[in-house]
Amino acid sequence: MDLEPVTSREIRTARVGLRLSIVVLVSVVVSVLLGILVGAVGLSAGSVFAELADKVPGITVDSGLSARDSAILWELRMPRVVLAGLVGGMLAMAGAAFQGVFRNPLADPYLLGVAAGAGLGATLAIAYLPDQTQWPISPLPIAAFAGAVLGVVVTYVLGRSGARQFAASTLILAGVAVAAFLTATQTFVQQQNTDTFREVYSWILGALGTVGWREVVLILPYVILSGGTLLLYRRLLDVMGVGDEEADSVGISSAAVRLAVVAAATLGTAAAVAVSGLIGFVGIIVPHAIRLVVGSSYRLILPLSLGFGAAFLILADLIARSVLAPAEIPIGVVTAFFGAPFFLLVLARSRRFS
Amino acid sequence: MRRYSLLLALLLLAAACSGGSTATTSATADTTTTTAAETTTTEDAGFPVTIEAANGAVEIVEKPMAIISLSPTGTEMLFAIGAGEQVIAVDEFSNYPEEAPTTDLSGYEPNVEAIAALNPDLVVVSDDLNDIVAALTAIQVPVIHHPAAITLEDTYTQIEQLGVATGNLSAAAALVGSMQSDIEGMVESAGQLGAGRTYYHELDGTLFSVTSETFIGQVYALVGLENIADAAGGAESGYPQLSAEYIIDADPDLVFLADTKCCGETPDTVAARPGWDQLTAVADQSVVPLDDDIASRWGPRVVDLLAEIVEAVLTLEGSTP
Amino acid sequence: MSGLRVVDIVVAYNGTPVVDRISVDVPSTSWVSLIGPNGAGKTTLLRAMAGLVPYGGQIEIDRQPIGAMSRRRLSQMVAYLPQRPILPEGASVFDYVAIGRTPYIPYWGTETPEDRAVVEKVLDRLDLREIADRQIASLSGGEAQRAVLARALAQQSAILLLDEPTSALDVGHQQQVLELIDELRLEQGLTIISALHDLTLAGQFADHLVLLDKGEVVSEGDPSEVLTEETIKQYYHASVRVTMEPDAGLSVIPIRPGRAVRRTGR
Repeated sequence: MDLEPVTSREIRTARVGLRLSIVVLVSVVVSVLLGILVGAVGLSAGSVFAELADKVPGITVDSGLSARDSAILWELRMPRVVLAGLVGGMLAMAGAAFQGVFRNPLADPYLLGVAAGAGLGATLAIAYLPDQTQWPISPLPIAAFAGAVLGVVVTYVLGRSGARQFAASTLILAGVAVAAFLTATQTFVQQQNTDTFREVYSWILGALGTVGWREVVLILPYVILSGGTLLLYRRLLDVMGVGDEEADSVGISSAAVRLAVVAAATLGTAAAVAVSGLIGFVGIIVPHAIRLVVGSSYRLILPLSLGFGAAFLILADLIARSVLAPAEIPIGVVTAFFGAPFFLLVLARSRRFS
Repeated sequence: MRRYSLLLALLLLAAACSGGSTATTSATADTTTTTAAETTTTEDAGFPVTIEAANGAVEIVEKPMAIISLSPTGTEMLFAIGAGEQVIAVDEFSNYPEEAPTTDLSGYEPNVEAIAALNPDLVVVSDDLNDIVAALTAIQVPVIHHPAAITLEDTYTQIEQLGVATGNLSAAAALVGSMQSDIEGMVESAGQLGAGRTYYHELDGTLFSVTSETFIGQVYALVGLENIADAAGGAESGYPQLSAEYIIDADPDLVFLADTKCCGETPDTVAARPGWDQLTAVADQSVVPLDDDIASRWGPRVVDLLAEIVEAVLTLEGSTP
Repeated sequence: MSGLRVVDIVVAYNGTPVVDRISVDVPSTSWVSLIGPNGAGKTTLLRAMAGLVPYGGQIEIDRQPIGAMSRRRLSQMVAYLPQRPILPEGASVFDYVAIGRTPYIPYWGTETPEDRAVVEKVLDRLDLREIADRQIASLSGGEAQRAVLARALAQQSAILLLDEPTSALDVGHQQQVLELIDELRLEQGLTIISALHDLTLAGQFADHLVLLDKGEVVSEGDPSEVLTEETIKQYYHASVRVTMEPDAGLSVIPIRPGRAVRRTGR
C-alpha cells in the first residue's frame, strides 16, 4: 500500500459520481432497448426508434408499423420492460436496505415473511375466490400484497417478545418462524385445492408478462414512495453498520431506523410481489455485485441498486422469453440460475482471500 | 365414425329383441333446438358476425382463413365442422385429427407474441392463462374463449358458435344435429340397462376421480350409471382423490381408465395393484381402458365416449355386442 | 468542559440489579476510572451514563438531567466506546471516523465541508491521515483502536466513556493509547470515565478510582488509597504487591508467594 503524502489529496465520503451515474444510465437504456427490440414478432430497429421518436412531443414520425405491430410494441413489450425495470430496481433496493439494517449480506425482504405471506395470500385468492374474471379488479395482487404486509407485521409483533426488543437477530428468528408457518399453511391450502396447483405454482415462480399499462400504474406509486424513503435513509444505513448500540450512542435510534427501513422496503417489495409473483435472488445478487465493485457504503449501493437492479431484471426477462421461445421460462427460475453461480463465485473469491 | 354406426345398428337390434320401442334415427339438418348463440345471419357467407363467448362479444369481420387453436377440443370441433383448411396452427396437445397442424405453441403458457408472429385472424382458446385473451384483444386479434363445457348444451353451443365464426354454419348445425340424435338413440336403448350400476372413473395413478357433477360425470349419468366418487371426501371440488380402500369397499361394477395414454394404466396393471384383485370389476374383466384425450375433451368425440360406456354396460348385462 | 454526576443509579436485568444504587461524581476534565472484578457492573454503569440502558436514579451533566435530553443532544455531550467496537465490513477509515459526526448531521442530510474538516483534523491528530482510505477491517490492533478513538473525538463531546480501551493491545500500544487520551484530555479539556481491569494502568492514568463490586461502590478515592493489597485481596481475591516509586509511578504487581526461583540443571 503506497503511502504518498496526502496533504493535498481531498478525502471524501462515498458519493455517486458522474462516471458511475453514466454507467448506470447507459446500462438501463441499453437493457430497455434490447428488451423492446427482441421478441417473437420481428420489429425492425428503425421502426421502433421511429415509434419512440413519434411519442416525443413536437416530433411526428410515421414508423410504418401496422396497428397490430404498434400495439405489440406499446401494449405488450414496452409495459413489460418498464414493469421489469420497476420490479428489479425495487427488489434490489429493498434487498440492499435490508442488508444494511440487519448487517448481513444475505438479508432481503423475503427473510421477514414477505414471500411466505404473499404466497399464502395468492394461494388463498386462487383457491377460494370464485371466477376472478368477474371482479372489476383482480383480487390476486391485492391478496398477495395483504399477505406480504401481514407476514412482516406478525414478524414484528413476535420480534417484540425477545430480550432486546426489535434486535436484529430476534427479528430474523421471528421471520423464519413466521415464514415457516405461513408456508405450511399455504401448502395445506394447496393440498385441499389441487386443481389450482398449476396456477399457484406458476404465480410463485414469477411472471412479468403484462398486458397494457395497468400493472405499471399500480406499482409505480409504491416504488416511488418506498424507493424515495430508502434513498433518504442511505447515510443512516451506513451508520447502522457499527451495530445497534454504537449507533444509538451517536444519536440515532437504531430501532426506529430499522422499523422505518423495514416498513418502506416491505411496502415496495409487497407491491412488486403482488404484480409479478415471487422473483428471488435479485435483492441479493445485485447489491452484492455492486458491493464487489464500489465497496460497502450504502450511499453508493442503494442508488446503484435501483439502476442495476432494473437493468438486470429486464435482461433476465429477455432471457426468460427468448431462450426457449415460444415457451417462457419463469423469471424466478432465470434469476435462480444466475444466483447459484454467483454465490459460487463469491465463495471462490472469499476462499482466495482467506 | 363407422364403429359407432355399427354399434347403433346392434343397439337397435338389442332394443328390438328386448321389446323396447324402436329408436328412430333421423338426422335432421335443421336441428337447432337449444342454441344460445346469437347470430346475425344463418347464411354461411354472412360476415361480419358477432358471437357471445366466455370473453364477451367477439366480432369477426370476415371469414377467417388463418385460425390458430390453442384448445385441443376446439381443434377437434373446427375440423369436424369443415373449417380444417382455415386452420394454420394448433397447440402442442391438439393431436386429433392427425392432419391438424401441430406446433409447439402452448395452451398452458400461451405466448402472445409467438401467436401474433403467425399472423392469425382468429384464435380459439379453452383457458385464459397468462392473460392471453386480454393480450390478444389488446393487439386486435379476435379471440374466442371456449372454456371446458359443463353440460352437453355447452358443447353444442360452442360448435354452433364456431360454425358461425368460421363461416361453416350449416356443417356445424348438421354436426350438432347428428350428435344429438346419436346420443338420444344410445340413451334410449341403453339408459335402462345402466340404472343401478356403479362405476369408478380413474384420472390418474394416484386415484383421482370425477364426480357426477362434472361434464364427464354427466355423460355417464346419461345411461343411468352411479358414480362411487360422489360420496367421497373432497367431492365438492368435482375431482376428489379416492383411496384404494374406498374403491375396494365401494366395489364398482365398472372401472373406466382415463389414464391409459398418460400413465400407461391397463386392465392388467390395475389387476396387479395390491388388493385390487378383490374388485368385482377386475374379476369380471369389466375394467375398460379409455382414450385419455376423448375422456378429457368435450368435443364431437363425446359421442365415441358414450359409445364405449354403453358397450361396457351392455357387456356387463350379458348382451354381447 | 463538562462534569458528570450520577446519583443512586439502579440498573436491573430481569429483575436482578446489576448496578445497585451507585453515586459517582466526576468533576470536569478529570479522569475517573471504574475498577472491579468481572461482573461488578462497570460496563453497565458506563452504558447507563451513555443513555443506552434504562436506569433508575439521576444522571446529570453540568447539572442537567440527561433523562430529559434527546439522544442526539446527549451524544453531542457524551461519546461512548464499547469494549468490542464493531468495525463495519468494507468501511474506510475516513468513513468510519465520519460516523462520529452523526450527532451534528441532519437526519436525512449529509456531511458539510465543516464536518469533513473536523474528521480530517482528528485523523491528523491521531496519525491516521495516511491510512485514511484503507479498509478499517485491515488495520492492526493499535491502528484500529486509534480509529475508534478518532471516531469518538469526531463527536466533539466533552465527556468520553471508555470501556476497556486497551484490553486487546500489547503493552506498548496500551501505554501509547492511554498517553494519547491523557494528552487529549489536557488539550481539549475532556472528561474521561473509563473502565479498566488493568489495575496498574488504572492507577497510573486516572485521577480518581471507583472500585465496584456486585453493583455497589465499595471504595473510591485517590489511586494510592484505593489500590491497597488488602482491598485487592478482599475484592479480587488476588495476591498482589503495590509499589509506589517516585520515577515510575504506582504499580500493582501480581505475586506468587512460596514459589522459589527455578534453577537450571539437575
